[in-house]
Amino acid sequence: MDSNLAAGLAMGLGAIGPGIGLGIAVSKAMEALGRNPEASGAIFVPYVLGIALAEAVAIYALVVSLLLIFVK
Amino acid sequence: MPIFAAGELVTVSIKAEPLFTIGPFTFTNSMVGALLASALLLLMGWYFTRRSTLVPSRLQSLLEFPIEWMAGIVETSGGRMWRGFVTLVLTFFLMILVANWIGLLPGVGTVGEVHHAEGGAELVPFVRPASADLNFTLGLALIAFVAFVSWGIRINGVRGYLSEFLGEPRYMAPLMAPIHVISELSRLISLSMRLFGNVFAGEVLLATMLALVPLAVPTVFIGLELIFGFVQALVFALLAMTYITLAIAEHAHHDEDSSPHVAQPAPAETHPSAPEAA
Repeated sequence: MDSNLAAGLAMGLGAIGPGIGLGIAVSKAMEALGRNPEASGAIFVPYVLGIALAEAVAIYALVVSLLLIFVK
Repeated sequence: MPIFAAGELVTVSIKAEPLFTIGPFTFTNSMVGALLASALLLLMGWYFTRRSTLVPSRLQSLLEFPIEWMAGIVETSGGRMWRGFVTLVLTFFLMILVANWIGLLPGVGTVGEVHHAEGGAELVPFVRPASADLNFTLGLALIAFVAFVSWGIRINGVRGYLSEFLGEPRYMAPLMAPIHVISELSRLISLSMRLFGNVFAGEVLLATMLALVPLAVPTVFIGLELIFGFVQALVFALLAMTYITLAIAEHAHHDEDSSPHVAQPAPAETHPSAPEAA
């Protein structure tokens, strides 16, 4: 019970920051794409890498909450 | 350990379940998934070497497409030595992609052996997607780690590689060396945890949706997981590529002293004939 609550809190709170970060990253990438559609090839790789690094934080929260649920 | 006790047998456990043992060797269901993925890729390679023609047939161009696309990305953003590691990056990409998508096939994770343990029955599926097992992802991350460390040593020499750990003003070395070591090791953890967390969370999500609404709704999430499986394979391959490129680029930093220390994989060098990545 306690660890389930902790898992939910860890995931929910841990997703706030990456959510904001991903939103900023995607909005900037779309903005750049709208300004310069030919640059999609050049934007793509740094964009995916940035998203992956921002998402990693949420994944850490996910791993923590999975540990809280499964490992007792 | 079942997470859905509400009459649902389809569960996801955090570690791969053992199927049978041969001597001291325990065979788990994620190994079946990994072997299936390898077999599929080997079949693809066999087809390529036997049946490939200069003018590709429909199936051949379908198989060629991801390889050409990924190789194009590595060529444009992998720096000048991209030919050295393009095969490794491609292997990461294809292996993880196939391993992820195997988990979405019907029957994977739902067909298995029912164990009657304490507190109800429990399904042990025969096949589990390999990347939903931390052993698999950690193994891949270790390969990537060895690859980028060995590229760094090969290009910069042992001295050059170790001096990277000490940082630029030498008097800061006692502070910077542990930070650099930790940041190298954290790449290992973040690479493996990212892939495992995404695929495992996807499996849990699918099982949850299957338990909540068994009809039609899981289809949407299977489509979502198709995208995630692709993106995670791409991310792993691109990160491995970037780490290798960074390990090589540190050399240029010492030579020319012009590029910044944390050089991005030079998107400025992109040729106008960049692949249609979008």
